[in-house]
Amino acid sequence: MSSAMWIAVIICALGTLLMRVVPFLWMQRRLGSATGMNAMPQWLVILGPMMIAALLGVSIVPANPSPVSWLATAIGLSVTLLVWRRLRSLGWPVAAGVGVFGAVEVVAALV
Amino acid sequence: MSQPADHTVHANPSPLRSALQGVREAIPLLGDYIPVALSFGLVATQAGFTTWEAAAISALIYAGASQFLFVGMIAAGAPLWLVVAMTLLINVRHVVYGPNLAALLPRSRHWPWLMHGLTDQVFALALTRLPQLPEVKRFSWFVGASLLAWSVWIIGTIVGASGGEAVTDRWPLLGEIMAFALPALFLTMVAPRFTDKRWAAAMLCTIFAALGLNLAGWSNVAIPLAAACGALCFYTVTFQPRRSRP
Repeated sequence: MSSAMWIAVIICALGTLLMRVVPFLWMQRRLGSATGMNAMPQWLVILGPMMIAALLGVSIVPANPSPVSWLATAIGLSVTLLVWRRLRSLGWPVAAGVGVFGAVEVVAALV
Repeated sequence: MSQPADHTVHANPSPLRSALQGVREAIPLLGDYIPVALSFGLVATQAGFTTWEAAAISALIYAGASQFLFVGMIAAGAPLWLVVAMTLLINVRHVVYGPNLAALLPRSRHWPWLMHGLTDQVFALALTRLPQLPEVKRFSWFVGASLLAWSVWIIGTIVGASGGEAVTDRWPLLGEIMAFALPALFLTMVAPRFTDKRWAAAMLCTIFAALGLNLAGWSNVAIPLAAACGALCFYTVTFQPRRSRP
């Protein structure tokens, strides 16, 4: 990596750390006062989940788009959702989705 | 994840024991961390980063989605200022995590570096588990849980980056398959919001806008534009509560 890229990594790391620590310390200091979580701007509360949804939309597109990879994506996401509905956890739904997506891709490659 | 409250009274519980309890209770998170970390290591090396550069990104930035975006945009030749801006923009969601935990954790001079471990998953686990623990155990519990998650994330990245290439040479489909961990992870993170119609409409608007913009070749601006569309949808679309029949 070039020096410029290392600087970019460090800025991202420091920026992310500040986003984690500053609101925490700020809220710890405000505890006991009349204002609390209601002081959090609503747009900020909404933006976080929307960013994750946007990332989902972008990451859905397969690396090598083809009818098979789109089919594998649709089946993989459906299985992920079904397992999530049953377990309400993060690990197993992801593992199941990846497994089924991979199985569809491998079967299609063998046929 | 519903666990019984831990009201066992220890006059002075050992910090090591509390940390080990945090480690033990964070183990379920690894089912999520390991495949995504392996996948990140692989994607990073495919994007031209060395194993140790990928490990450094994982150790320093330590935020899964933004790391994928970082290496993806670098590989696509995006300008560095845009890469930094997008990476930080994606991580903006972290600002709401700390305030939620502030009342549950004791004051300490170590928080400025310990909060580095506050990821989506650690936040979800801590918010569930901390209220059930005696206050004296919470600090060490958080240290144990977050350190386990952080170290597994780094080790997973190294394994994915170093072993991943040899494996993908032999099984070329594996890289594509492992990368599916990312949309699967995001789906499990947005799925809980779909119980509310207003959130569901805004989420669907965001997902399809991002998908469409990416397919149209506007991948660099797809994420912020789609998120803005979703936020606009959230504020403009309202659902009337269903009236019960007399």
